Amino acid sequence: MWCRLLSRFKHWQQQRQSLLRAWSDWEYIVLDIETSGLDAKQDHIVSLGWVCIKQGVIDLDSARHLVLDTDEVGENVGIHMITDADIQQYGKKQESALRYLRHFLRGRILVVHHAPLEISFLKAAWQKHLLPSYGLTWLDTLMLEKAKANRAQQPIQEGGFRLNHCRERYSLPDYQGHDALTDALATAELLLAQIAYQGKNCRLYDLSLMAGGRSRLSPR
Amino acid sequence: MAAIDIPEVHKFIESTPPFASLSVQERKQLLSGVSMLYVRQGQTLVLEEEAATVHLIRRGACEIRTPKDGLVDQIADGECFGVSSVMAQNPDGLKVVAMEDSLVYRFEKSRFQDMLRQNEAFGLFFEHTQLHRRRKLSRRQDSELASPALQLSTSISHIMTRQLVQADPSESVQTIAMRMTEARVSSILILENESLLGIVTDRDLRSRILALGGSAQAVVSDIMTHSPVTLSPDALVMQAQTLMSESNIHHLPIVEETGKVVGMLTAADLLRHQELSPLLFINQIHRQTSVESLARICQQWPTLIINLIVTDMKPADIGKVLATVSDNLTKRLIELALMELGKAPMDFQFLVFGSQARQDQSLGSDQDNGLMLEREPDNTEAAYFSALSEFVCKGLASCGVRLCPGNIMASNPQWRKTQQGWQQVFAQWIKSAAPSALLHASIFFDIRCVFGDDTPVKQLIQGMQAEVAQNSMFLATLTRAAIATKPPLGFFRHFLLESSGEHKHQLDLKHQGLALINDLGRLYGLSCKVYRESTLERIEQAIREQLISVDTARNLMDAWDHLNGLRLEAQSRHWQISGTASAYLDPKKLSPLERKHLKTTFSIISDVQDIAQQRFLRGYS
Repeated sequence: MWCRLLSRFKHWQQQRQSLLRAWSDWEYIVLDIETSGLDAKQDHIVSLGWVCIKQGVIDLDSARHLVLDTDEVGENVGIHMITDADIQQYGKKQESALRYLRHFLRGRILVVHHAPLEISFLKAAWQKHLLPSYGLTWLDTLMLEKAKANRAQQPIQEGGFRLNHCRERYSLPDYQGHDALTDALATAELLLAQIAYQGKNCRLYDLSLMAGGRSRLSPR
Repeated sequence: MAAIDIPEVHKFIESTPPFASLSVQERKQLLSGVSMLYVRQGQTLVLEEEAATVHLIRRGACEIRTPKDGLVDQIADGECFGVSSVMAQNPDGLKVVAMEDSLVYRFEKSRFQDMLRQNEAFGLFFEHTQLHRRRKLSRRQDSELASPALQLSTSISHIMTRQLVQADPSESVQTIAMRMTEARVSSILILENESLLGIVTDRDLRSRILALGGSAQAVVSDIMTHSPVTLSPDALVMQAQTLMSESNIHHLPIVEETGKVVGMLTAADLLRHQELSPLLFINQIHRQTSVESLARICQQWPTLIINLIVTDMKPADIGKVLATVSDNLTKRLIELALMELGKAPMDFQFLVFGSQARQDQSLGSDQDNGLMLEREPDNTEAAYFSALSEFVCKGLASCGVRLCPGNIMASNPQWRKTQQGWQQVFAQWIKSAAPSALLHASIFFDIRCVFGDDTPVKQLIQGMQAEVAQNSMFLATLTRAAIATKPPLGFFRHFLLESSGEHKHQLDLKHQGLALINDLGRLYGLSCKVYRESTLERIEQAIREQLISVDTARNLMDAWDHLNGLRLEAQSRHWQISGTASAYLDPKKLSPLERKHLKTTFSIISDVQDIAQQRFLRGYS
């Protein structure tokens, strides 16, 4: 009993201390998902794209793009440019794709642009496929941008927090494609830029305070 | 799935040389292991360990600098850095500084090296990049300083003169003047027991001795500036500049904390070492590919000249700088003409005459030039050279070198001749010795080759000089012409009598002063055995061949320097006011002292005219 408490305390302490390490000591998985709509209860994931950040740089080898095997794409083709033909050709079983993602998530911080939406879809998927429970630390680049704008007392116009507009402020290139992988890469670049503007000695702890959180993905 | 599947990365790499020339398979191979980083503006990238590899800028701009901060290159989207790290372990210690926020691809070193070995064209591209930077680097190290901001923060110990010209306080003014002349410096340090007592400059000799009719035997300590303003060797160029302009001085002795004098810094040193713009300007000239863009670049020319004048560069040096610029401009125009018209049907030389040949151009000089052809051209060949000359002369005109009002230009068929043709005209001018020939003498007898093999031009000059040596009549006529115009010695008296200085009472420094010295220089130059182009060098050559006494010659050279300085100043002032370069001097603008000095200058010219008359006109007048 005491032993367990002690080890828990140690674990907590380690986690706390590690939060204070430089941001680049951590690994990140920057994720974008394309969905058939905005409601996680009704709509489903169409594709996933991600890329990892290691030692402060984006590792392009880690880039993954998974198009999921779903029933029908329907009318939303215009939004995400994935057609039924793509799904038939590349489609993966949703469950195996999610397990693959879960494997990559382990030990890494999840980074997304606009966390609430992505996380609600991940939660729903976890429930649907009864995947093992998993505690997640995440950062949200949109929230980070908002926090910075607030701190600088610079009001940003409606729509100014869209990925492309955020990128413009850091003179990042204008990407034409909008598939999940391109957006994941675009988000990863945005994160690097945001961190570069945080100044030296930026810690994960600082980023978490501004725009991070923890969530639990569980089968129920 | 590998990195190659990110469409935006793929698209960019595909359109960027030399990656664009790789096969899909090769690109895929090279792209695995690539990482991306974001660099903040002003941040320095340390290319060590896994970062010691080639980087490609996706978006942004970076500077490559030497360890001492000299600028080597500026690069932007689609360009690479870190090449030397991969190819030779960065022996120059170059570093990379982001000028803008930059998104950068970093290649994996071993894969990159594999690709260099595997694909020859790809490897050559980077070798070339490296070579190109090395060339830039060596050019930088010659003159270490690059951007203006950088120059200002350089320590003056890099640019000061370490060879000290010094004297005891008890020496006579004449001895130190001789020492200064010998060492060709404009100031001398007065030391006692190795500690600095004072300084004497050219200006002091003028204003504290000559102008006051002081004795050459006066003791230095009486005319020197006591405890002059000094600076320590670790001070910055910017501090030196500020101090000089605040104290209105051009000479700064550099003294260590211990009191030991270690160097001398003049305004000219500052200029020579930091004002790289003539070099940059010439660089730019060579990069232009059309007459229009050349003309655009040349709009900076007057500013460049004014900069040179303002910073107190010696007039003779300014003349050389300007001649170098216009020679390069002429060469570039000829290259462009050759590109447009095709290869020339025969060898040819482009000749310049007059001020460009003498290297004493100034603002608003006009062009005098001609062609020397290998042989008599047939009709098509003649048409080719007509087109080429037209192209070059018009090009020069659009670049701000005015067309010659006397039509002495290569575009005039009369001035496109073979070597023999030129020899004949020169021989004819020399033989006839008619006054009309002398009109030409003042232009054509100053001659220089700026394009092509100059052997035939040298032969022409040798022939011409032999011709002159045989013909004392010609020298006599030339002398008569050279002494016909007297310097306007009465001018000041006249000016003083007339209470108001109207325009007609302004002094034409070029025609009433400099031209007279140039004529004398040509006269002496042509009677020398060795041909020199510039007036000062002609006079020096005449000293060497003992045609003129050292004193007379030095006086004349000083007079030339003085008048040229005044002319350049008058021109730049006039240019800044009106946009035209007039060499008229308003005597009202001169202080009594300067007027006196100018008067002395004129009397020197007059003296040398008398001496020349004695030498060349004995028996003729």
